[in-house]
Amino acid sequence: MLTEFLSRLRFLIAGQSRDEVDEEVRFHLERQIEANIRSGMSMEEAQRQAGIAFGGVERTREQCREMRPGYWLETLLQDFRYALRSFWRNPTFSLTIVLTLMLGIGSTTAVFSVVDRILFRSLPYGDSERLVSVGLIAPIEPQEFMLGGSYYEWQDNQKPFVALTSEIGTEPCDLTENNPARLDCARVEGNFLSALGVSPVLGRNFTANEDRPNGPRVALISYGLWLSRFRLDPGVVGKLIRVDGHATEIVGVLPKDFEMPRLQAADLLLPQALDVAAQRRADPGHPMWAYARLKPGVSIEMAKAELQPLFEYSLQLAPAPFRKEVHLQVRSLRDRQVHDVRLAAWILLGLVMAVLLIACANVTSLLLARGASHERELGVRLALGASRMRLVRQALTESFTLSVAGGVAGCLFAILLLRLFIAMAPDGMPFLSKARIDPRILVFAFATSLLCAVFFGLLSGMPKVGAEALTSRTRATMRHAILRRWLVIAQIAVSMCLLAGGALLAHSFWNLEKQSFGMTAENVVTAAISLGQTSYPTGESQMAFFQRLERNLRYGPGIATFAISDSLPPGGYHRDQVYASLRVEGRPALSSGTGGTVASRRVTPEYFQALQIPIVQGQGFTDEEVTSNDHVVVLSRSLAERLFPGQNPLGQHLHLHNGAAAEADPIYTVVGVAADVKNGGLAEGDEPEYYGLRRQQAQDWDRSAVLILKTTMPPAVTEAWIRSQVASLDPTVPVEIKTLSERVGKLADRPRFEMLLVGFFALTGLVLAVIGLYGVISFFVVQRTQEIGMRMAVGASRADILRLVMANALRLIVPGVFLGVALALGLSRLLSSLLFNISAHDPVTFAGVTGLLILVALLATLIPGSSAARVNPMIALRHD
Amino acid sequence: MPQPTDLLQGTLDLLILRTLVLEPMHGWGIALRIQQVSQDVFQIGQGSLYPALHRLEYKGWIQADWKASENNRKAKYYSLTRTGKKQLEAEIESWDRLAGAVALVLEQG
Repeated sequence: MLTEFLSRLRFLIAGQSRDEVDEEVRFHLERQIEANIRSGMSMEEAQRQAGIAFGGVERTREQCREMRPGYWLETLLQDFRYALRSFWRNPTFSLTIVLTLMLGIGSTTAVFSVVDRILFRSLPYGDSERLVSVGLIAPIEPQEFMLGGSYYEWQDNQKPFVALTSEIGTEPCDLTENNPARLDCARVEGNFLSALGVSPVLGRNFTANEDRPNGPRVALISYGLWLSRFRLDPGVVGKLIRVDGHATEIVGVLPKDFEMPRLQAADLLLPQALDVAAQRRADPGHPMWAYARLKPGVSIEMAKAELQPLFEYSLQLAPAPFRKEVHLQVRSLRDRQVHDVRLAAWILLGLVMAVLLIACANVTSLLLARGASHERELGVRLALGASRMRLVRQALTESFTLSVAGGVAGCLFAILLLRLFIAMAPDGMPFLSKARIDPRILVFAFATSLLCAVFFGLLSGMPKVGAEALTSRTRATMRHAILRRWLVIAQIAVSMCLLAGGALLAHSFWNLEKQSFGMTAENVVTAAISLGQTSYPTGESQMAFFQRLERNLRYGPGIATFAISDSLPPGGYHRDQVYASLRVEGRPALSSGTGGTVASRRVTPEYFQALQIPIVQGQGFTDEEVTSNDHVVVLSRSLAERLFPGQNPLGQHLHLHNGAAAEADPIYTVVGVAADVKNGGLAEGDEPEYYGLRRQQAQDWDRSAVLILKTTMPPAVTEAWIRSQVASLDPTVPVEIKTLSERVGKLADRPRFEMLLVGFFALTGLVLAVIGLYGVISFFVVQRTQEIGMRMAVGASRADILRLVMANALRLIVPGVFLGVALALGLSRLLSSLLFNISAHDPVTFAGVTGLLILVALLATLIPGSSAARVNPMIALRHD
Repeated sequence: MPQPTDLLQGTLDLLILRTLVLEPMHGWGIALRIQQVSQDVFQIGQGSLYPALHRLEYKGWIQADWKASENNRKAKYYSLTRTGKKQLEAEIESWDRLAGAVALVLEQG
């Protein structure tokens, strides 16, 4: 049975041998001849008649061969071999197409894979499209938040939501048992998981009884923690662990893909256990973040409208000056997550689309040019009896081969590019590190390339009317020539846009890097330390630790200056408060508005020296003040000018926490004014700032601090030494050590990433456009060789010929550049929020880019131009 | 003798299958037989016979064996397979329907 099947299979694929067919035909002819002789013909006549009756033997043989099922495969292989041969004959052409497709498909796939994760991924919650983030926005916190004082009022009275829930943030917590560990604990409301539509993979959710003050201590653990610490032990539910010294029962395990709505890391979920009654009375109450699930049929706008009365209620609670600056925010959870990468993602998508456009135009124009030069060959083959079907099929085979090669190269390129993206990407680009080449996208890109193949194949393979193709240039080629010129103009325009965008971002990045921070980051090593809650519960113990550490470090090898702060300029976290909470003694507080925000740091006296921040007035903090009970403050120049315009700020008295209870709002004396330091990040506007002094008093200290060491030793030596000193005091305390230059450099990661990406695509676009231009001009030269020869024969000089070619190129370049400048001026506004200290229409940048593009384009035409000028008229006139 | 008629598209297959119902035959025999039975109406272009035979063989409707012929020369004998028999019935049926329909139109049109 099996052997029979196999022999049949072989028969079907290989067909019958040639001998067999011959033998059969010979037998037939012999019988016919016999019959003819029997009917009385001579031998020769019998043979002749038999041949006539049979028809062409060779044709029969061919036809028998074509009957076999494997025949199409054979022609396909034949076409394929032919295609390879012709690629081999013209490797520049084939390589250009494959590379163009590779760049187009590769970058599209890579960018889609990244952008898809950011913009279009499905969130790991049940029916996540109906989840929204709800809250207030204020100048001090532009991302929506809620306050305990009004949240519960909202929860009781809201109408548009199925459920409203909240979390109060994550903070570090310690697992205090064998093998202690520092974890991230998220505190959430009891209905948090059910509102988000998440169910634990093991165990249960919190109960209402557990989410109240002094309720049973319970926790849900993340899948990651379950894996790393409990090795996926299903018996983990019901286990007791010690969190910050308290026995806590594990009641459940979170799903593998669970994430907090604001994407904070969370190893443990604990009930937030707020005292609801106390919160309702409190002003302003505990800060929290609220999420809600829309009722079916309720849109975000409707929800916002329905929440308006509740928002009014919250406004009544806020101090009058704030009311104008507080707004209601309801937006989808996805928007909340991607708020600041959204623009970048869309720009990226736009860029890659532009590159894809250029790539497509390139391939089309190259194939059109090739098709035109093949026209005569096709005409000849048609005249010799090739069927049209066969010609089209062969053209398709060729373009399929090219597309598949380009597609495969593109997939490899995409994988490479994505790795590069991930390696380059700054922290805080959500999901980028998790971006993978999505098979769906890959299939899509591949399908696109195959579709291109069909299109291009038909375009270049469609044989013209036979006789016409044999004569001379047809109207179809003329039409193609015009189409090709427009494609090149479009390419130049699009790459002009890309270049302009890239140059603007590069210029802006240059401005960022060159700006002065108002401090010196060289030779400064910083160490961020955060003490455990259980080991250092009081201000005294925290101060004792840091002061012992200071004693051990201050006189170490190479340490010139030593200071302690709670945060560092020029960007990142620092304390913030509204300007309205500052009040000069003897003057009324600001009566309307918040006045914007004011930054503050709590530092030791040598802080200014360590960062080389000049004290422009007064003497700053002294060691006597450290041991005294006085409240002293150093203002930044901008704050001093705002608080005391035209006055001497030194010796003035002011309140820093106006409106707080008297004991929390002592009177501070201004003892100095420091020069302004950048404190709002690299590109953001700066805030006025003041510095409090870390005295020898427990109230001035807390769990975390940053050590600042100005050192003459290499950073690595200092780092090792700091680690050893910290470990000798308490080996469980985590330390994060970086030079200040590294911290500053990290701030530039994001703009650098954006600039590199745009720059990469701009260059790719430029290269592709130049290739396209080069191709069209070379083709123009080849097509006109005869004409050029004629011109030379009647006396044109080489310069004339060069001028002819260049003029032709300029007729493409100039409209392309004009179109591109217009387009770029229109589109660059989209970039304006990414630009620093440079207008989106910066004339210098635009002029430079225009010049560069024209220069490169002219260079690209110089090669075919000079080869045209070298044409030998004698040979050219014989050119067919 | 009437003019030989061109074979209708697909009819050749039907004739070959029908001819092979009686006994296995070689190509020459099939051609001769069709010509005789149709009283010389069908002159099969012998060149097109063999491609047709091969096509039918690839389809699995007929099978071929090399056997000694009447005058002891090796020849390729074709015979109907089981699918071939079924196919023949179907083809005859559809032919009858077609012929009947044509006849109806001719009589009444």
